[in-house]
Amino acid sequence: MIRVNENEVPWRDGMTVQDCLDAMGYDFVHITVTVDDVFVESIRYRTTRVPDGADVRAIHLYHGG
Amino acid sequence: MAQMIDITINGKPVQVIQGSFLLGAVRSAGFDVPTLCHHKDLTPNGTCRLCLSEIELKGRKRLVTACNYPVREPLCVSTTAEPVVKHRKMLAQMYLGRWPNVPAIQNIAEQCGVTDGSRFKSELTEENPKACILCGHCTRACEEFTLERVLDFAGRGIKRHLTMAFGEPDSHCIGCTSCAYVCPTGAISVVDALNNPKDPVKIRNAGMRVNAEMATLDQSQCRMRDVGTANIVDVMNRYDLLPVHNYRFGSHEEAFKIDSKVLKSRFAQGAADGCWLGCSMACAKTVDHFELQTGPYKGHKVCVDGPEYETAAASSNMGCFDADFLFEFNFYCDTYGVDTISVGTCMAFVMEAFEAGVITEKHTGGLKLPFGACDEVLEILHQMARGEGFGVDVGKGIRWLKNKWAKEYGADADYLRDIGMELKGLEYSEYVSKESLAQQGGYALATKGPQHDEAWLIFMDMVNKQLPTFEDKAEALYYFPLWRTWFGLNGLCKLIWNDVVPADNSKKHKPQDAAKIPDHVRGYFEFFEGMTGTALDETRMLEQSARVYNFQRCISRMLGFGTRKDDIPPYRSMGPVTVEEYESRAERYDAQLKDQVGVDPTGKNTAEKVRLLRAFREGQYQKLVDVVYKRRGWTSNGVPKIERLKELGIDLPEIVEMVKNDQE
Amino acid sequence: MSNHNLKPIDKSDLEKIAARVREGFGRYKAMIMVCTGTGCVAAKGFDIRDKMTSEIEKHGLQNEYLVVSTGCNGFCAAGPLAVLQPSGVFYQKLKAKDVEEIVEKHLQGGQVVTRLLYTDPVTEKTHEKMEDIPFFTKQQLVALRNKGLIDPENIEHYIARGGYTALRKVLSDNDPEKAIDEVLASGLRGRGGGGFPTGLKWRSGRKAAKERGEPIYVVCNADEGDPGAFMDRSIVETDPHSVLEGMLIGAFAVGSHEGFVYIRKEYPLALVRLERALEQARTMGLLGKNILGMGFDFDIEVHRGAGAFVCGESSALMASMAGKPGEPRAKYVHNVEYGYRDKPTILNNVETWANVPVIFEKGSKWFASIGTGDVSKGPWNGNSGTKVFSLVGRVNHTGLVEVPMGMTLREIIFDIGGGIPDGRSFKAVQTGGPSGGCLPESCLDLKVDFDSLTEAGSMMGSGGMIVMDDRSCIVDVARYFINFLTDESCGKCTPCREGLFALNRTLTKICDGQGTPDDLAFLEELSQTVAAASLCQLGASAPNPVLSALRYFKAEFEAHINDKRCPAGVCKPLIQYGITDACTGCVVCAKRCPTQAITGEKKAKHAISSEKCIKCGVCLEVCKFDAVEVK
Repeated sequence: MIRVNENEVPWRDGMTVQDCLDAMGYDFVHITVTVDDVFVESIRYRTTRVPDGADVRAIHLYHGG
Repeated sequence: MAQMIDITINGKPVQVIQGSFLLGAVRSAGFDVPTLCHHKDLTPNGTCRLCLSEIELKGRKRLVTACNYPVREPLCVSTTAEPVVKHRKMLAQMYLGRWPNVPAIQNIAEQCGVTDGSRFKSELTEENPKACILCGHCTRACEEFTLERVLDFAGRGIKRHLTMAFGEPDSHCIGCTSCAYVCPTGAISVVDALNNPKDPVKIRNAGMRVNAEMATLDQSQCRMRDVGTANIVDVMNRYDLLPVHNYRFGSHEEAFKIDSKVLKSRFAQGAADGCWLGCSMACAKTVDHFELQTGPYKGHKVCVDGPEYETAAASSNMGCFDADFLFEFNFYCDTYGVDTISVGTCMAFVMEAFEAGVITEKHTGGLKLPFGACDEVLEILHQMARGEGFGVDVGKGIRWLKNKWAKEYGADADYLRDIGMELKGLEYSEYVSKESLAQQGGYALATKGPQHDEAWLIFMDMVNKQLPTFEDKAEALYYFPLWRTWFGLNGLCKLIWNDVVPADNSKKHKPQDAAKIPDHVRGYFEFFEGMTGTALDETRMLEQSARVYNFQRCISRMLGFGTRKDDIPPYRSMGPVTVEEYESRAERYDAQLKDQVGVDPTGKNTAEKVRLLRAFREGQYQKLVDVVYKRRGWTSNGVPKIERLKELGIDLPEIVEMVKNDQE
Repeated sequence: MSNHNLKPIDKSDLEKIAARVREGFGRYKAMIMVCTGTGCVAAKGFDIRDKMTSEIEKHGLQNEYLVVSTGCNGFCAAGPLAVLQPSGVFYQKLKAKDVEEIVEKHLQGGQVVTRLLYTDPVTEKTHEKMEDIPFFTKQQLVALRNKGLIDPENIEHYIARGGYTALRKVLSDNDPEKAIDEVLASGLRGRGGGGFPTGLKWRSGRKAAKERGEPIYVVCNADEGDPGAFMDRSIVETDPHSVLEGMLIGAFAVGSHEGFVYIRKEYPLALVRLERALEQARTMGLLGKNILGMGFDFDIEVHRGAGAFVCGESSALMASMAGKPGEPRAKYVHNVEYGYRDKPTILNNVETWANVPVIFEKGSKWFASIGTGDVSKGPWNGNSGTKVFSLVGRVNHTGLVEVPMGMTLREIIFDIGGGIPDGRSFKAVQTGGPSGGCLPESCLDLKVDFDSLTEAGSMMGSGGMIVMDDRSCIVDVARYFINFLTDESCGKCTPCREGLFALNRTLTKICDGQGTPDDLAFLEELSQTVAAASLCQLGASAPNPVLSALRYFKAEFEAHINDKRCPAGVCKPLIQYGITDACTGCVVCAKRCPTQAITGEKKAKHAISSEKCIKCGVCLEVCKFDAVEVK
């Protein structure tokens, strides 16, 4: 089990950062992602694996229009 | 999403994003090539030819300009191959021969190991060290930063020279000085003829950073130049935050009919427009040649100024998922001088009341007003303007309608209070705050009424979970209203604070700090400092705002408002009022009942669950208010304490008079 | 002709129209095909035509003889000319007063006017019929299949020759991919100079448009800018419908509904004929909606150039069409993917389009059997079909020729071109316009096709072929082309803008007798950088004339630099006009000299003052005793 913004998401082997975002429906453009406090660049979302038990944060930088 | 390509540069293996230009890869691999026409904030156009590099692709060698060569397949790059070095030397001689005294050129010559350009000396050689070297930075900056094209080249071949149209000063030039900013030789000089800012260079530099970001990042971020605030419709619908049917729901299957794709297809072609000539964000949009179907201008083809997000979301709130309706609605609200948000939210309230049978056709003058009644909405708008019919009532706003219907039609006042989305007499703006306690506070605790430009905390709270405790929320409800008030105090647009974000914002700052977009905040401070000569930091900025903010609160008290009871919002903004609403998000609400309220939802009927959840949430809200008032230095009833006024230096006798009877 | 009689047609009407036209022609004893290509028009070709018509009427012969105004016949050296069909009697170098004689003696009296027939300057034989004239015998007409046989301003003539049946075939097969396959199999390669396999281009464009769900455009490049080249101009003046039909077929194959012709402003007659052709095609429903009633929509807009050679380059052309300055852009992303309006765009040359209908009429196999190379080995291996050349300069038979690919330079220049006039000797031939090079006698046996000339330092290019004799100075020729390109460079990129300017300066210096030995090395070195570093093909190929001149004619450069001498007698600062002992003292030259530089008494040898002499060459021209020499 991993946590994405404190929401519990089932983990599976080979899960990537992009998979986490997809699981939560996060497709907003201004997102900052950290995995266990380590920053991940957006071009690496599809290639960065997330370990079981990880604390994933997808901070949306948004303050409305 | 981007694919990575493996290439080698001078033997070193490097990974690059497919489609990106070679020069970036060369530099990040630690190598360099001389460049002249390249500028990090402008699109490359490969005219100086200095960055020529040899690539080997599928066994074939050729020379390409690294600055604008898109890497699409694996290849080998050499920036030091013999032909490349040879040609660079010859090019450097050409430059030196034509502009021998320009430092940027001398630099290039040095980089290429060339000292003598005399073979290219001719009658066209310019001795001036500030000569124009035809690099084209200025023409591109004019186009990409400010979306003008005041400067361009004229003359073919060797006669090429920089000029404005017809060789005359162009009145479209607003003096943004982007051209001077990017000129490598100083050929373009700035003559200041301004309103005496203390440090114009500081202002320009801060502004140029923004221009450069807009030119390079906007397309892959919020697309303000492309679609403007319409891009927000898509986002809100995806995140279940788009008001639908008087804030009952956060998304709708027909929302695509008024999303940014549809709106973009109707916006005037290629016209990124600004509120003022020269704005580089240029997010204003218009729908041109729109033929009106109703009202006094029926049949006219007009230019509709917008729609912005709020207007589109208001349309959604009314259940009117129709682009043509949206444009007509936008136009007539503008023409009549009524706010689209107020009308939209008010109509949504009317529609829910109509569907619930609180009012009927008898009361509306025969108009049927369920959600989605587009034609009828327009009719009401026209009635409002003509001053006749049911429209006149609607024009008085939700507060007035609630009172009238309870008094004259015997409607349930509590029910109306729950679903009438207004506070302090102002209709709510178009975001669903139901699931974000912080945003409920953001709306309800604003002195002016539920306007989100005080605080927009929904993502921080709901999605990022960055405000877990009451104290966190209170801190946000302290900082953001003051920060956002500051824009208004200085007459500045806030969009360049966070509708474009520096590329390295996430890398440079921790997530909590990144949310404030520190580099852009600094930019605003630099603007202020450049104008006034007074240095600014976060503390001083907050003070500036807090003085006005608290003054406003005091005046509100003086007028008989400004206490806790005025800060309690309609329940629709906090949670599900009806069984239908609860059931549309049952899983979420059941989970909250279980985890946070400590009540097992199984076996309970929905009406009961609604009641239990409501009690919880209303209690949560009161707790929030306690903490916020404390943080703001107000009494438990929401009135500024005199010691706070003293702190801010606004404890003038007239102001103290307004609040002295409310002190604890 | 007017459009009054034209009506929309459907697919079954083509044969009916053809039959009607042929039947109409059959009622006449003969047709007088008067050439009204620009060359003949400049020599009063319209007057010849009008006089012919009025003389025929005057003699009451209008029911027996029909005057047809045709486009370029091709034999420009013999113009103005008229050809009788079907007999093929060929009258040349006509003046208005000759027309009367033709009508009276030949049309009325039945006797050929031998004085106006063509006499070969080399064999000295007189030929009555066009088909016997050596200039024509070795040609093979594919792109120019209708030249001299139709009135380009009468669409029905084109239809009578089988026009638009290829389009009908393609539309009724209704298989765009198959049509592309056919063009690919034919081996057709771009005739504008690039030689890119046309089928490949169409295939890429169609694919890009389908993948992105975007419209695709077809464009005809009629911006022929090479000095001395008039192949495209002639095709448009002579048979504009061959181009339109080609574009229609291409549009169908790639899925396009919008086409453009970009034609240079300096071709007014071609433009008139093009617009007339478009109008007539539209009136007959061959352009617009539901073409031939077969459900295909397509129309063509004409853009005029504004006097820039660089706008013949595809990306500059498209920029110009979009209203932007005609400057090329980097072609790392091709126009077939992102071209006009950033959409997939198929740009082909006039001659390429003109070849398309005949490929469908006669089949790709037939087309591939003409020329050399083997297209079955791959689309780049074919040198199929023919090429149109404008053969000009110091050659007997100047004009427009069309020959199969792979014919040698020698055959073209000597067999068809009739060799060098005035008994002078061949020195060089410039092929490929400003992008090509000067090839010497040793190269005469090279085959002319897409590939063979490149190794030798030149290229076939779009078909310009300028022949030079020993009175041409190669250094001056190189300077001419560089001067032209310096003027035409768009100026965007440094090597072309500054480099050509410096090459021009240096070559001018050499021609003025101020050259130094360093200059040769500089020319060579600079040429290589301009060629390698330029942004577009204008700059990249600009040094070719210089490099090829240096390669084959270095001695001539050295003479200019070291000896301050121009062996061909062209470079004015390096030559002197003098009078030899052959002078009879007739005083003619002295009278004609514009600067009174010649002194001398009657019957005494004259002298030329080198200070006053401006080397205009008038004395050389008027002297009947060959007593003027240029040193």
